[in-house]
Amino acid sequence: MEQRANAREYPYIIEMLNITKEFPGIKANDDITLQLKRGEIHALLGENGAGKSTLMSVLFGLYQAEKGEIRKNGEKVRINDPNDANDLGIGMVHQHFKLVDVFTVLDNIILGVEPGKMGFLSKKKARQKVLELSKTYGLNVDPDALIEDITVGMQQRTEILKMLYRDNEVLIFDEPTAVLTPQEISELMEIMKGLAKEGKSILFITHKLNEIMEVADRCTVLRKGKYMGTVDIKDTNVQELSRMMVGRDVSLVVDKGPAAPGETVLSVKNLSVKSKLHKRDAVHKVSFDVRRGEIVCIAGIDGNGQTELVQALSGLDKPYEGSIELSGEDVTRKSIRYKNTHGISHIPEDRHKHGLILDYSLGENMVLQRYFEKDFQRGGFIKFDAVRRYSDALIEQYDVRSGQGAATPARSMSGGNQQKAIVARELDRRHDLLIAVQPTRGLDVGAIEYIHSRIVKSRDEGSAVLLVSLELDEVMSMSDRILVMHSGEIVAELDPKETTVEELGLYMAGAKRQNTGDTEDEK
Amino acid sequence: MKNKTSVERTSPCLAVRILRSEAVRSILSSVLCIIGGILVGAIILILLAAFSEDIPISDAFSGLLIILGGPFASGNTADILFNLGDMLLEAAPLMMTGLSVAIAFKTGLFNIGAPGQYLMGAMTSLLVALSIPTTEQNAFFVWLLALVAGVLSGMLWGAIPGLFKAVFNVNEVIVCIMTNWIAANVVSWIFSITGDRYINIAETKTKFIRTTASNGVATPKLGLDKLFPGSNIDISIFIVIAIAIVMYLMINKTTFGYELKACGYNKNAAKYAGMNEKRNIILSMAIAGGLAAGGAALWYLNGKNDFLWNTYSSLPSEGFNGIPTALLAGNNPIGVIFSATFLRYIDKGGFNLAGYTAFNEYVSDLIVAVIVYFAGFSKLFRDLLVMKKKRKNKIDPGK
Repeated sequence: MEQRANAREYPYIIEMLNITKEFPGIKANDDITLQLKRGEIHALLGENGAGKSTLMSVLFGLYQAEKGEIRKNGEKVRINDPNDANDLGIGMVHQHFKLVDVFTVLDNIILGVEPGKMGFLSKKKARQKVLELSKTYGLNVDPDALIEDITVGMQQRTEILKMLYRDNEVLIFDEPTAVLTPQEISELMEIMKGLAKEGKSILFITHKLNEIMEVADRCTVLRKGKYMGTVDIKDTNVQELSRMMVGRDVSLVVDKGPAAPGETVLSVKNLSVKSKLHKRDAVHKVSFDVRRGEIVCIAGIDGNGQTELVQALSGLDKPYEGSIELSGEDVTRKSIRYKNTHGISHIPEDRHKHGLILDYSLGENMVLQRYFEKDFQRGGFIKFDAVRRYSDALIEQYDVRSGQGAATPARSMSGGNQQKAIVARELDRRHDLLIAVQPTRGLDVGAIEYIHSRIVKSRDEGSAVLLVSLELDEVMSMSDRILVMHSGEIVAELDPKETTVEELGLYMAGAKRQNTGDTEDEK
Repeated sequence: MKNKTSVERTSPCLAVRILRSEAVRSILSSVLCIIGGILVGAIILILLAAFSEDIPISDAFSGLLIILGGPFASGNTADILFNLGDMLLEAAPLMMTGLSVAIAFKTGLFNIGAPGQYLMGAMTSLLVALSIPTTEQNAFFVWLLALVAGVLSGMLWGAIPGLFKAVFNVNEVIVCIMTNWIAANVVSWIFSITGDRYINIAETKTKFIRTTASNGVATPKLGLDKLFPGSNIDISIFIVIAIAIVMYLMINKTTFGYELKACGYNKNAAKYAGMNEKRNIILSMAIAGGLAAGGAALWYLNGKNDFLWNTYSSLPSEGFNGIPTALLAGNNPIGVIFSATFLRYIDKGGFNLAGYTAFNEYVSDLIVAVIVYFAGFSKLFRDLLVMKKKRKNKIDPGK
């Protein structure tokens, strides 16, 4: 007990000192130090590929560092696998929740540490503990609800309860706000503050600077695998943080002039797509136009039909009703190849599922829709020289970081650079319509700034842009017009200059709707 | 450029880079497989000799040498040449089934249907070669027709599992296994109803179909039989090597191969890119089927090889052996040339083992099987090679 009391006095609960971790061709972590105080919210900030994930993987025992040590309460510890991390009271809410959809909240919480005797479950005590925890920390969630029936925010609370149920003292949140609505985000911020007040130590991985300013006590910044320093939030501001992260001044506001919409490029009428998950339509009688020179943004909470709408537009899925016109031509039933070669560029939602062939090299991925063009093949043989030259130029132009240029296996690249490669490929193809689905998901400020500016440039050069985004900041700053989708329908058309994030949130949550097409639109 | 250089890179010297390259790792892992198989084989030989009263322990060592010697352990020069010729002849169909499995693997499909495709190819080419009298048609023309017909039948047979996979999303392994047994029964049934017409009654070998030589149809030898006297060798080995090179070029250098591989690696991304992923799955399986059937056609069109027509209860081993052949070659079409030749080389050694030592022929089959079995571990060895490198980088963080 005495030792424990001593431990209580030691200010740092977890310290990672001088961590170095190397991968073939790259130093992912180079002499990084991170000290987490008891009861603080400590943000870990860095661009993609800055080494945040690697550092957390070292803390979780997924990787072993070549140099450096990890201490808990000042004592050196060894973390060989995630079980060791768990024993030390370290828990993590992953970006993609690790929950069993058909289990209840309670079942998910006790999964792996099921209470019981001789193989028989006894959930009574567990339920008691879960109820107490949710009361203490204000984590409102029904323990008997099925995961598949509750909102993403509730699922996240379940993940938090999972950590608390295991008596974890160090809680790691990996980009927790990426999937939430603005209302849910502010709730999460309150929860995090409450947890810290109760003595939990929180490590908050993010690249959203306002969130850090709002909730964190201190912030450690990484850049390209190197330690840039730790700052007190009360002594800093957004500009300084972004400068530390990127290494230069970053414009945080999208620099775009007013839109000059021209003729209609995409015209969608009465489009309906059947859902694969439920009996209702995934997309129900959706109509809208996108004109040359404007960015139309489809806002909405994940899973409200945006994916199916885009797949119907790109040809990956077939609508059962309605029509799609591209520059006046009906392309509803045309093949994907036809649409690809007739003016549609598409940055897909899931870069691993659709965007890239991970077993191909970066160069081979760069010509995914163009390998058959005269520039890249002769008599059925691919001109690998031309492919390499073309992709090296794109890599250079779009600052895609890769170990071996065009020859780099796509699988070995960081997520952000994979995304940059896709953006480069799609923007470089001749296009009248750019469909960009969450083009900056998982990217850092520098890359977001760059991709946003490229999309705006594409607009200014006369493309019609349909942007699908879950990020409200992106929706508000990028769009010239906003269409809000809820339950497969477009429930509102808004002007970003005249609406607020809060109002947008209400439409997204389905609490409000315009009668689209009706003249009595509210202002 | 400034950004790129600031990311620290380790630049190993040339020798290290060569050692780390994919190709070298591939070859190295295959060689390790072979060594592993031989070591285990040696242990079995020693154990058998130690526990058997009839086999002197010295036989275990000489036995190992005989297996490793392959056809060269055959004694006199005449026997060596004869065995070498046969080795090359027998390697050809194995290369074809190896290519069949390798091409399918490359495109993300597991072609375990090679035995069935092999049988269909054998049946079709025999029917064509024996049905058209060479008194009326040019024998070479009949040979070519039989070969093409055999390949086409295999393509059709292979397309069936491809079709089921593409249209109904049924796993190709299940359909392949079913089509194997359907082929086995179809072949038995066809030859049982055609009866006397094709069965080798003249030589009172009623279990077999007449050899194509009985109709004057045989693969050209171009003097190879003079080079390897006594052997049935023909030019099929060269035809197959040419096919392997064509397959290598197709899969690695052409837009067609690019599409096939893309569909194999990531069906969704291929679809997104506008490729017809369903058509490509069917084509992949058809090509694989055609290759396996082509192997059978070449083997039976040799003119001297007997076809056991009552196949309903067994499937040809050439079909299944295509799997270890492909694995040992790391699914590289050029590698298949070497892996198939090596497996036939060991086969000849096994055959000699029974002749020159007290081990019986079952033991030699066993040793060959062990080596073939180890061929399946090539991926494991490849992963181990990568892991070893990683472990070297590790230091004990707990010290």
